[in-house]
Amino acid sequence: MTTTRRNLFKLAGGAAAGSLLTPAPWRLITDTALLSENWPGVPRPKRGEVSYRFGNCALCTAGCAVRARCVAGQPVALAGVEAHPLSRGALCTYGIAGHHLPYHPARLRQGPVAEASAAVQSAIRTLRPNEHCAVLDLRPGRTASWTYRRAMASVRNGMYLASESNTAVDLASAKTVLSLGVPVLDGWGTPGNVWALRGGFHLIQAEPVESRTAVMADLWLPIRAGSEAALLDAVRGGSASDAAAQTGLSEQQIASLARELRENGPSLVLDRNGASPMIARREAPVPEEWKKAVPATQLASVSEESIRVLLIDESMPGEYLPWSAIQPKLTSDCVVVSFAWSKEGYGRQARFTLPAAVYPEVVDDIPPAIDSPAAMFRLAAALVAPPEGMVSPTGFIAGLAGIDAKNALQERVAAIQKSGRGSVFDPSGAAKPADLWKALQAGATWIDDREPRASVISTQIASPLADDKNRSSAPLAIAFSEPRAAALVSPLMSKVTNESGLRLGTHGVAIHPSDARGAGLAEGSRARLETASGFVTVDISVDDTVPPGVIQVGGGPDLQNVCGANRRGRVVAL
Amino acid sequence: MKLPKSITAIVPFVAGVLLALAAGWTAFPRAIYRAQRQPVNFSHRVHADKAGQKCDDCHSFRADGTFAGVPTLDKCSGCHAVPMGNTAEEKAFIDRYVTPGREPQWLVYARQPENVYFSHITHVKLAGMKCETCHGNEGATDGLRAYQEDRVSGYSRDVFRSMKMDDCVDCHRRQGMDHSCLDCHK
Repeated sequence: MTTTRRNLFKLAGGAAAGSLLTPAPWRLITDTALLSENWPGVPRPKRGEVSYRFGNCALCTAGCAVRARCVAGQPVALAGVEAHPLSRGALCTYGIAGHHLPYHPARLRQGPVAEASAAVQSAIRTLRPNEHCAVLDLRPGRTASWTYRRAMASVRNGMYLASESNTAVDLASAKTVLSLGVPVLDGWGTPGNVWALRGGFHLIQAEPVESRTAVMADLWLPIRAGSEAALLDAVRGGSASDAAAQTGLSEQQIASLARELRENGPSLVLDRNGASPMIARREAPVPEEWKKAVPATQLASVSEESIRVLLIDESMPGEYLPWSAIQPKLTSDCVVVSFAWSKEGYGRQARFTLPAAVYPEVVDDIPPAIDSPAAMFRLAAALVAPPEGMVSPTGFIAGLAGIDAKNALQERVAAIQKSGRGSVFDPSGAAKPADLWKALQAGATWIDDREPRASVISTQIASPLADDKNRSSAPLAIAFSEPRAAALVSPLMSKVTNESGLRLGTHGVAIHPSDARGAGLAEGSRARLETASGFVTVDISVDDTVPPGVIQVGGGPDLQNVCGANRRGRVVAL
Repeated sequence: MKLPKSITAIVPFVAGVLLALAAGWTAFPRAIYRAQRQPVNFSHRVHADKAGQKCDDCHSFRADGTFAGVPTLDKCSGCHAVPMGNTAEEKAFIDRYVTPGREPQWLVYARQPENVYFSHITHVKLAGMKCETCHGNEGATDGLRAYQEDRVSGYSRDVFRSMKMDDCVDCHRRQGMDHSCLDCHK
């Protein structure tokens, strides 16, 4: 045998094949991966003293109590606080990974602050008599909300836009709950509280799609999408036969429902826009001098083309008003500034999107959730420092009015302490802390005394929406069955919330196979969901548990924006 | 005797396979690891037998529940401020570390990556596991074996033997315990 090039190649080929049968290449792959963990520039968790800090999660109004395990001051793990009288140790998939949000790749780190400030001030200076400068507060009821109201009282033609925040439901007293598509057992209210009270009420879930809440409810009524108003009318004494025709239920089912609500009371009806009955909840006390502030205005009552400056505080997640409802109120030269964590939400429409500090970078108070009949005051702790360049929405807006609001939280706490009302839950165990501000910063919660005779408010719920009849161009009825999602989700948790199929995700929708075939769509395809409010790109799931003619939508802010005020839409293949 | 052409044609290939197998199974394991000596040839057996010590006398839990791991010098100098025996090893230890107050730089066989969170107290106190289950019968050894460091990744050979993630997951499955990403990767 001679040494030829061919033989050498054969030898090399044999060696390559043989090496695959040894540990060498596999081990080198593993080792290289391990080596890459230690390259310069790879972030390393700090080593150091382990400590614990208490606070409250700011990702929704549940404000669940949080215990943060910190290493060298860096939060590394969050857990619930079991002893908390409301949250009872619960912490959802968003909250448990909340400490990841400061490092989210999509978070904003810079924005045109100087340009936005100049544009806003110039527009305010040149406001015409019928034009307004308005603040849209997505999470009313905070101390920041009072700062905005005070600022707008000082700004010419200032207006504060927010939904009603001083109402609540008394779930503890309810014996029967009729939920019209509200995800009662899936992120509604304060989940720890809801589950603690679960044994005390009979839950009837009325919605077209069998959601997680429907699966766990005592009874699921599979009504047709958009027929909630008809069902409610029937249980309140209206025509059961009309309701049966619209909902798809039998007259016996409707009669049985009406009887249960009547005989097994007190009963509570929940709708995505409110509840009946709702009780008026007084706010946590505020300093007297703050009360010279503009009241909250509902967007619907604002004249068209009258808002010249719109400042949107998206810095704390809240309920999105559809842009289609906002835009008609804006002048053609309106300056829209959004304070946000990311470009999701109103960042797509705003002229200027300014980066706000994310949870848990900033101290802010969290208004009570809908299932808390008593006022509460609790703070989200600042566990990490925000990066340079963040804009404080309260600082920006208060600055327009020349108000110093740096110590607003402390001033409010002083007013609370002065009132002598309420009790304090302190995770450190102190029964009545002498320094309320210090206790709140260390994770305590102030809970107001219940008013003995809180007034009951009647609210309009389950109203049919204008485009209910618009079936030819919008053949699919929209069904919400997912809880509202935060704009930013930890990249770790998005595997659960967005990418695993367990949930629809922030841009996920589900349709029946026949509707998918009709639109030329398949599982996993991308499509455009169009409604009268606009359109959004969505990810399609094909699900035969979704009734034909219905589109089940996820809870992300873009979907809320487009679907919130609409009952019908259509999907178009991209 | 001349071999058939079909045989001679594959000889180089087969030779390559055999060479690779030999190299991969004998030379590679020797080459990939670099043996490093521990700073002190500590005898667990002597301390267990003569001093009557148990694992947790030195490898203890602090008051807050965290695990102390490898003890610091003050634990050793509590007894070895002066020689307790007559071995050269002890004398060298006192001269090099105790007297100048210098911490020995122990090489930890079970060192895990930075992204791993392991709670000793959960496994020892809650699950009732014995130290030997994961760490072997170190308490009976007369000296410390060489720390075999993987030249590429820098981790100990012991981790690859019995402390990889798969080993932890397998044990959790056998015990019927839940396990999820966040349990160990905070």
